Amino acid sequence: MNQIVLIVVLPLLAAFLVPIVARMSETLGAALGPLVMGVCLWITGTVAIESAGNAFAINIGGFLPPLGITFFVDRLALLFAFLTALLVLLLWPFQGEHRPREHALTLILAAASGGLALSGDLFNIYVFYELVSVASFGLVATGNRSAAPAVRYLILSGFGSVLALVGIALVYTQTGTLNLAHLSQLAPTQLINPIGLAAFALILLGVGVKAELFPVNTWVPEVYATAPNRVSALLAGLVSKLAALVILRLLVLVFAQEQALLVMLLLGLLGVITGELAAWRAQDMNRMLAYSSIGQLGMVFVAFSIPGETGVFAGLAIALHHLVVKPALFLLAARWGGALSGLAGAARGSLSGALLFTLFALSLVGVPPLPGFWAKLLLVMGLAEQVGPLYHFALAGILIATVVEANYLFRIVATLFRRDNPASPAPEKHSGSDIATAGIFGAGLIAAVLLLIPLSQSLKTIAQQTSDADAYRAVVTLVPTPTAPNWRPAAISGDTP
Amino acid sequence: MNLPSLDVSLDLILYTGAFGLIVIGAAGIVLARHLFRVILALAIAEAGANLLLVLSGYRWDAIAPILMGSESTAPMVDPVPQAMVLTAIVIGVGVQALAVGLAMQVKKTYGTLDMSAIRQRLEADIAGNAGIATTGSQDAPLGERPLPPVDAVPATPGSSTP
Repeated sequence: MNQIVLIVVLPLLAAFLVPIVARMSETLGAALGPLVMGVCLWITGTVAIESAGNAFAINIGGFLPPLGITFFVDRLALLFAFLTALLVLLLWPFQGEHRPREHALTLILAAASGGLALSGDLFNIYVFYELVSVASFGLVATGNRSAAPAVRYLILSGFGSVLALVGIALVYTQTGTLNLAHLSQLAPTQLINPIGLAAFALILLGVGVKAELFPVNTWVPEVYATAPNRVSALLAGLVSKLAALVILRLLVLVFAQEQALLVMLLLGLLGVITGELAAWRAQDMNRMLAYSSIGQLGMVFVAFSIPGETGVFAGLAIALHHLVVKPALFLLAARWGGALSGLAGAARGSLSGALLFTLFALSLVGVPPLPGFWAKLLLVMGLAEQVGPLYHFALAGILIATVVEANYLFRIVATLFRRDNPASPAPEKHSGSDIATAGIFGAGLIAAVLLLIPLSQSLKTIAQQTSDADAYRAVVTLVPTPTAPNWRPAAISGDTP
Repeated sequence: MNLPSLDVSLDLILYTGAFGLIVIGAAGIVLARHLFRVILALAIAEAGANLLLVLSGYRWDAIAPILMGSESTAPMVDPVPQAMVLTAIVIGVGVQALAVGLAMQVKKTYGTLDMSAIRQRLEADIAGNAGIATTGSQDAPLGERPLPPVDAVPATPGSSTP
């Protein structure tokens, strides 16, 4: 089962081979990337079947943790590794102008995303996170006039990384280790304190830049409005979910304290409210989708702030639903990206596009048989079970946000099907590949409705396994280090020589 | 450097310095108007974070963590943070190089490196591409207000090209 490491190694290797191969043979260079991602998909599938849902750990290079680097592979990690390969394959940028360069960056993004899903070491997570960042800066900058948003995104993300690094340094001064299993062993005695909370807040803000968390999401509308739509789809669909996954792991394993949950609840709720209201006011499709994505990610964070398995279950359901719906909407926005008022009667030009948009809009709002409804229901029921005014306030906030969401999405659907202005030229038709890919996402959504019961069962198992910190610790074998339990650097404890 | 009586205050100075660098960097990112200065401020903040990481494993009474083959029993400085700082420095250099490259692109596209001018033009650009009016305050005066041409951007002390 060690071959799971290849989902990080192969794309990384291929990323640096693509420009060379493309120089020798253009077709081979263009085929290399999708081929590698296909292999990754196959590897993840076989490992998932082989491991039969049991978690296992891989020690890179044979060095045992906490000294070595661990890859922790459980159902959640495999699910996200699989989705990474699948989404990268579906959203492959084969139409771009600078093809080898885009292919290389996409492969780096895929490798680092796989690493984020698997890594069981805080610093390793930081390195993969930076790799995702750099690849996404490059991909954003491939847009026509997107250098300015890319550089603004880079500065915000760079400062976020600084904050995350400070958080990691605080964790290290407190515990002297960065292995997640080891940290979760030491956390009850050494991290459940104000310094631990500060470290969590810093890492949350740092990683939250990619996860579109409330105060650090100013890059979202401008980047999604100017970047190529397939890149926006990857960032909104995949990268934001992986950042949320990192925060979930840290929350379950290391920072399981009440104040940490409250911080997340507040920031998530602010994200929901601001995101949905801004989306309601937006006048063009791309930015409307960007703001709505901020709102949805806020909902994921609100769900993760519900303690225990319920929260993980609801959060994963919303995240996965958003992961299917938002990339498809961004693909549809490739030709409908302009002003919303210009879309009047667009259904005449492209009926299938309009029908798909309606399907995704209904699911995003949460109309009963569609998966979006069940995900929101889980969240609402989870919040209602909690005691405490803040949780009930969040419940009210989410329901109001849903009304706002319904208002702006249905307004667009109504515009699409309007008949009364034949004067204005209908917008361009979608390109075949865009509509086909969006159709695949739509088919996935319908399949999820039909397979609702088995899907929710397996998602519940994943949530159970993820929220069980004891099981995580049991899987990773730790070598007892002599200094580990009461390790303190001289500077903190003050035991000067 | 082994001055036991000064250790605590020296540590205090170093920790204050590390957090101070981060604060200076944050202030620079928020306050500076020139894009190049913002990138420099980011570099300063990164230096602060790196210093903090080094400090987290440093001991004044220990030697460098290099195994020389001899059976030395002297305590060593924790090597893990130093390895991490090396990684962080390399990442930082890469990101800064990318930032400067993108800044050159911005200069080519918009003809300015002034942050607020870039932002204004970006808004106008996005709105123009989408075919909508620039979103602004409701209290803003009515009517068309074309952006000043590229050359007529008022020169601020920070906006001269480096």
